[in-house]
Amino acid sequence: MTTLDNALTIGDLKTRARRRVPKQFFDYSESGSWTEQTFRANESDFADVLFRQRVAVDLRDRNLASTMLGQPVSLPLAVAPAAICGLQIANGEIHAARAAQKFGIPFSLSTMSICSIEQVADAVDAPFWFQVYVMRDKAFMKQLILRARAAGCSALILTMDLQLLGQRHVDIRNGMSAPPRITPAFLFELMRKPAWALGMLGATSRTFANVVGKATDVSDLTSLSSWIAEQFDLALTWKEIGWAKDLFQGPVIVKGILDVDDARQAVAHGADAIVVSNHGGRQLDGAPSSIRVLAEIAEAVGDKVEVLMDGGIRSGQDLLKAIALGARGAFIGRPILYGLGAGGEAGVSRALEIIRRETDTTMALLGERDIRNVGPHNIYSNGLDRRRGH
Amino acid sequence: MSALDRALTIEDLKRIARRRVPKQFFDYIDSGAYTEGTYRANEDDFRKITFRQRVAVNLENRNLGSTILGQPVSLPIAIAPVGSTGMTDADGEIKAARAAEKFGIPFTLSTMGICSIEDIAENTTKPFWFQLYVMKDRDFIYRLIDRAKAAKCSALVLTMDLQILGQRHKDLRNGLTAPPRFTPKFVAEMMLKPGWAMRMLGTKRHTFRNIAGHVSDAVNLASLTEWTRTQFDLTLNWTDIAWIKKRFGGPVIVKGVLDKDDAQLAIDNGADAIVVSNHGGRQLDGAPSSIRVLPEIVDAVGHKTEVLMDGGIRSGQDLLKALALGAKGALVGRIMAFGLGAGGEAGVARALEIVRKETDTSMALMGERDIRNIGLHNIYSNDLERRQGY
Repeated sequence: MTTLDNALTIGDLKTRARRRVPKQFFDYSESGSWTEQTFRANESDFADVLFRQRVAVDLRDRNLASTMLGQPVSLPLAVAPAAICGLQIANGEIHAARAAQKFGIPFSLSTMSICSIEQVADAVDAPFWFQVYVMRDKAFMKQLILRARAAGCSALILTMDLQLLGQRHVDIRNGMSAPPRITPAFLFELMRKPAWALGMLGATSRTFANVVGKATDVSDLTSLSSWIAEQFDLALTWKEIGWAKDLFQGPVIVKGILDVDDARQAVAHGADAIVVSNHGGRQLDGAPSSIRVLAEIAEAVGDKVEVLMDGGIRSGQDLLKAIALGARGAFIGRPILYGLGAGGEAGVSRALEIIRRETDTTMALLGERDIRNVGPHNIYSNGLDRRRGH
Repeated sequence: MSALDRALTIEDLKRIARRRVPKQFFDYIDSGAYTEGTYRANEDDFRKITFRQRVAVNLENRNLGSTILGQPVSLPIAIAPVGSTGMTDADGEIKAARAAEKFGIPFTLSTMGICSIEDIAENTTKPFWFQLYVMKDRDFIYRLIDRAKAAKCSALVLTMDLQILGQRHKDLRNGLTAPPRFTPKFVAEMMLKPGWAMRMLGTKRHTFRNIAGHVSDAVNLASLTEWTRTQFDLTLNWTDIAWIKKRFGGPVIVKGVLDKDDAQLAIDNGADAIVVSNHGGRQLDGAPSSIRVLPEIVDAVGHKTEVLMDGGIRSGQDLLKALALGAKGALVGRIMAFGLGAGGEAGVARALEIVRKETDTSMALMGERDIRNIGLHNIYSNDLERRQGY
């Protein structure tokens, strides 16, 4: 039986989370769209990138700290805005935000979170980041951005790659909803996972608290897919960046960039940072992995904005590869969700600690003492095929 | 919710079809020649092509409609000519033709269909395409072309890659015949698949009705292998296109082109369109996949003719890849056959709906609103090795 203390890898935490979290919510995090080709490539392409091992370097006084958007971080990492953290475990967003604050990295709250902006703000001291989708109801979206500003959020993440939902078969098969429908299959899950159920009885929120009672024209909020189909704005364009920035009065991070031309557009329209992302392989199945396109995007715009990335990071080694290929920092979503499922705040702390230790030791074995110096010179080969001239 | 409604992918329909269709007829669909290397490559090679994800595009008012041979289609696909479709399900060709008509795409009847040209014409209202094999008995072929013309078929699909039959081991091991022989094994299959058997009892269409009763010496028509060996014309060559076209008096689509020199010859000899095809991996085992050779054939003749393709398409994403690499449209055979086996006309309709939905959402996630604009700019990379200079 894996406990938190003997979990040595993010994979161990995933195993423990799978046993403790009801199937529909574990599956929600552990899935990609359609054939899951891009979801798998996000992880597997990291294995194609090899490190240069350098020796005989004085390895005393190593430093892992850096900055993201001018904000100091103990490791160049942020918690990604994953939806429904609060269904991996009761009050999941609060657990994860507290663990991130103690660890010294930003927590990002999703629009589609269970706990609201205000509930998270009440539970932590450090400012967090807020992620927003572009919706048809501009009044509601404006209200969301102003709420984030009022809560002292230190950055706004604007998601550009989800105007409509890539089909994730497993969610449809599981009938995923928030709060869950009380079916016989779900009752059986609760009997097998009593700790989850007990925790949920005392939860601050069990549905999309940012949205419920605040957005209009929502016929069935429990169904993520129908909510997205009704509310998300198909007419989204680059102009939304300026609009959101004016309202928020703070840095805007543009997420969902997987193309050099789009990266340039985002910068031209005022993005303070971009996140190279394919939404964790959950949207366009058949898109390249994030790590594969990172280098060319960093080459194109890395001198003008901070290039962050997400997708497939499951270890400190993966983080180092992303930084070596040009990322200023990375987001992790699934390792956080596994940590939450495995043990709430302590589980997230364990996940972050695992990644810190992996990063520290591996950086040293690369012959580097300061993470801010990690770069292309630390790569032995990038076995990923770069884009060919189409 | 029926099993058909629960099917989310073509793979799901294939699983249902496997349960419902007698082994010898399911295997007939799900097989290639010899080692099945080309059969597998047709599917696998699609996964080596990755899409460009583009964001911040207004995705309202998307269009999937296009034209093939000047004929409007609701999605740029046509049902491929598949032999023995009426053994997958009773009156299979009629059911597939009706589903195609409702969906708004062409249906192609095979010479080796169970239902005849006249059967399809009587049971549909829109023109369909007829696929022609050239046989030694020219009088029979003349009559066949005249019958297609009389039935107002809007195109003739001339198959060039089957003068002799590539060996498909499963068919020999299963002792495939149409109608099936009543061996003890087949009777056992009937008991396992009573729905198929009952529906088959309800129709009189049990053998190759384009041929039976139309040729004087239809010896051993039940055995496809034997029939092909004795009747198909080994002397078939490019000059045959001209007289066939003249006799038919309508557009001739030349199917089975896998080489750019052959593509040029087909056009020089009057082809109105070509289908890049290796016969679904059922003929020359070891030939490259259709998607692999598609770009070089498009480069060579795409400006002079419509280049269609078949082989390996199992999703809307695959269709988008074929279009991006230059195909004007694609023929789908197994998609239709798996749908048909899974649920007759409703199953074919479900299969087509799955592909439409996949195409629509993925096109949007690529940042495109109109399928007619899909092109090379939508491809991130094509990791397939192109033909080397032999």
